[in-house]
Amino acid sequence: MMSIRSLAGACLSAFAALGAFAVPASAQTYPTRTVTMIVPFAAGGPTDVISRIVTAHMAQTLGQSIVIENVVGAGGTTATTRAARAANDGYTLITGHMGTHAASVPLYPKLAYHPEKDFEPVALLAGTPILILARKDFPPKDLKEFVAYVKANAEKVNAAHAGIGSVSHASCELLNSILDVKPVGVPFNGTGPAMNALVAGQVDYMCDQIVNAVPQIKAGTIKAYAVATPERNPSLPEVPTTTEAGLPAFQAQAWNAVFAPKGTSPAIIAMLNAAAIKALDDDNVRKRLLELGSVIPAPASRTPEALATLVKNEIAKWTPVLKPAS
Amino acid sequence: MSDTPSEAPVKSILPKWVRGPQDFVGGLAMMAVALFALWASSDLQGMHGFSFGAGTAPRMFAVLLLLLGGAVALVGILKDGPHIAAYSWRGPLFVSAAIVFFAVAIRPLGLVVSAFAAFLIAALGSHETRWLEAIIVGACLTLGCALLFPYVLGLPMPMFPRFLIQ
Amino acid sequence: MELFANLAHGFVVAFSPINLLMCLIGALVGTLVGVLPGIGTIATVAMLLPITFGLPPVGALIMLAGIYYGAQYGGSTTSILVNIPGEATSVVTALDGHQMAKQGRAGPALAIAAIGSFFAGCVATVLIAVLGAPLTKLALAFGPAEYFSLMVLGLIFAVVLAKGSVLKAIAMIVFGLLLSMVGSDIETGASRMAFNIPELADGLGFATVAMGVFGFAEIIRNLDHGAEMDRNLVQQKITGLMPTRKDLVDSTPAILRGTVLGSILGILPGGGAVIASFAAYTLEKKLAKDPKRFGRGAIEGVAAPESANNAAAQTSFIPLLTLGIPPNAVMALMVGAMTIHGIVPGPQVMQKQPDLVWGMIASMWIGNLMLIIINLPLVGIWVRLLRVPYRLMFPSIVVFCAIGIYSVNNAPVDVVLAGVFGLVGYWLIKHDFEPAPLLLGLVLGPLMEENLRRALLISRGDWSVFLSRPLSAVLLAIAAGLLVLAVLPTLRAKRDEVFVESEG
Repeated sequence: MMSIRSLAGACLSAFAALGAFAVPASAQTYPTRTVTMIVPFAAGGPTDVISRIVTAHMAQTLGQSIVIENVVGAGGTTATTRAARAANDGYTLITGHMGTHAASVPLYPKLAYHPEKDFEPVALLAGTPILILARKDFPPKDLKEFVAYVKANAEKVNAAHAGIGSVSHASCELLNSILDVKPVGVPFNGTGPAMNALVAGQVDYMCDQIVNAVPQIKAGTIKAYAVATPERNPSLPEVPTTTEAGLPAFQAQAWNAVFAPKGTSPAIIAMLNAAAIKALDDDNVRKRLLELGSVIPAPASRTPEALATLVKNEIAKWTPVLKPAS
Repeated sequence: MSDTPSEAPVKSILPKWVRGPQDFVGGLAMMAVALFALWASSDLQGMHGFSFGAGTAPRMFAVLLLLLGGAVALVGILKDGPHIAAYSWRGPLFVSAAIVFFAVAIRPLGLVVSAFAAFLIAALGSHETRWLEAIIVGACLTLGCALLFPYVLGLPMPMFPRFLIQ
Repeated sequence: MELFANLAHGFVVAFSPINLLMCLIGALVGTLVGVLPGIGTIATVAMLLPITFGLPPVGALIMLAGIYYGAQYGGSTTSILVNIPGEATSVVTALDGHQMAKQGRAGPALAIAAIGSFFAGCVATVLIAVLGAPLTKLALAFGPAEYFSLMVLGLIFAVVLAKGSVLKAIAMIVFGLLLSMVGSDIETGASRMAFNIPELADGLGFATVAMGVFGFAEIIRNLDHGAEMDRNLVQQKITGLMPTRKDLVDSTPAILRGTVLGSILGILPGGGAVIASFAAYTLEKKLAKDPKRFGRGAIEGVAAPESANNAAAQTSFIPLLTLGIPPNAVMALMVGAMTIHGIVPGPQVMQKQPDLVWGMIASMWIGNLMLIIINLPLVGIWVRLLRVPYRLMFPSIVVFCAIGIYSVNNAPVDVVLAGVFGLVGYWLIKHDFEPAPLLLGLVLGPLMEENLRRALLISRGDWSVFLSRPLSAVLLAIAAGLLVLAVLPTLRAKRDEVFVESEG
């Protein structure tokens, strides 16, 4: 059974393939060898898992294997710098991310690349919603109480994050700037140790991606106040959205998207975009992404142009929040 | 260590009152490292309020190393100790050259060329090397590495020179 | 009893042909990874992760776990044979292990490392099954203050294990701590002493420095004039392959103590396993009737740390299996492997995924059995490798190390840095500085600083937390006691010296 979506996807990719005929030889034959997808974070993290699920399907469409290369370091900017400098022949791509392609701009004044100037946007893959989490015996019962409590006890509360430049750090800064509080931020090396400290009750609250938190919330070792997306998430139906819980200003998602180095031919970009869209319409891919608590982008936001707009808006959103921190 | 110089001991350029040159020079070198680290971390923020700045810990350790280096040097002055052991130049030179060559060559020339060449350069470091034997063993080793690392362990590495592939 | 039912279920899962095969592959790859210098478990598991997508999740995890603890078996091999520790946990093994090899006793050293690892692995596996859940509390009781105190204790171990001057050993630790400061600051993200070299942005890698100060430096030193005689001697001296009865008798208590220490410290994520190996060595040295033997080829100095690091490698699975929180980078990759299969581990993973948890626990025991069956016959091959003339051996080691370091981050700069550290190491040897404390400082430095800063952030700058929290206070007290024990003999020796001089 073919859904309308996948039919549309197939048409689109056929169209893209047709379009590819019209342009120079490089795109006609692309891809003739293995494509490298740089993932700027360790294997097994949310960005890596999303990249792997989607690229596995894209590889089938393109008829070439896509190798994931995890390049870790400096909040993902090491990898992104490398991708920016890579040959723009379509054989090196990167799964960019809210951190590498937006929050990095204010965080790293000496950044060796610019997300808008050095990359061609290809396609938005998926977003992971951010949750406001707290240790299980943290006094506030709901988000309203939480806001009041944190404001009243700003001197006393500790907020954990997974390191400068991480999603949990950036989103916590956003939350703090909305609440206009400056709690002590306790840095950890990655989400694992930060979660461990939250479960152990050594820190008071943190913001983190949904993937890491669901099992802990379900087991009652930590609690969740709200999810920072417009809609509730199917994996945590009982957790209200920030809008429902009275803090509509706090909206945050760790989005992941494919980028190519600047100057990659438009035909190749179109092929890759079509392959990505086809993957996002595949039932199995969708199922696995949804299991992770991911939000799959609506068709309108899957074009390269939409991604370019997203990057622009995200840079504008994070710059005032993260500038004073660095 | 067992390598007390079997040849003529290095002539000491150090003044007579240094009774343990090995410790004395060792301590001074540690102090130099510490001073360098102090300079290198001087642009980093120090304590702010109750929390550490980026530069607090590096400077703390650098000062500690400065003191310890000073103490080691002092021991070298006060206590009789061994002379500075003889250095040889051949081993360090060619082993370093092999390593640097490998580092420079691996990306453009690939694993096969750089591993084989690095093997032969390193072999220059010993006067015992027999060339025919070294070339045969080097070739076998290169072949083994070329199979082991990219295929068995699946590590992504260029195999052959870039200009040959394209 | 529920436990036996669970274990029986686990063995049924683990004994399925596919899982047995996965376990064997994991053990083989792990041994290989451990043996090859530089090739780390993180890199390998990351590379093999995509292959596991096509496998059933239980099999995939059994294989990945096998690589993880298998590497602990292999890691001792290069430490003993060529004085190159492949993992941070086998640094201490090199101290006495390589000395044994120089005395022609590489065979017994390798064999006792495998036997100790096997025993420790078996005990620790049982421990996971029986006490996994209660032991989780220990992992949660350790906050930043406790970790800081543990790191202090760990550094004191490095002082005790020094065979030469205590002062110089402390200087080396501080040198290591200073080197560990290179990279990004955890709290502000500021780049520290990295000189705008992007490869230094995340600090100096353990493999880079270890290959340098141990591997390359040892090679360069062996090429010195006068060192040839030593080497030829080694080749003539090779005696038995297996430990003698006396070796076994000497090692047994060391293995037991190493297992206990390793099992406890392994539960603590971040540095637990490394500290375990150093702690086990220090304990043996302190308990020995003749501590002077240590660093000169004492078999306990191999047996204890090798048992400890393998026990720690097993018990480090406890936080993952009971809390669903990955305690280190390799386990984070395993969580990734589970996530890809749609299993996100959490506190309920034991109830929700009994196949996975108990299958894995049972497979660890089987894996350890396989590893000893693989490793004992290998001893003969490794020892035969020592008979290869050094003129052919050293260029091969250089090439292997260079490839290994390159493969960690695919960064040529790392290879050059290792070369630089080779020269530094050569210089250190010439000035009688020991590299082992330097490496420990390098590994523990960031953990120590981060936890100190976290503890002070949480306590709002109140330093008394380190003493007011009981666990932390106990750890600091042990550290202080050990330091006194380490320094006292030197002071006493000095006094004796003065005494002798005034007499004469």
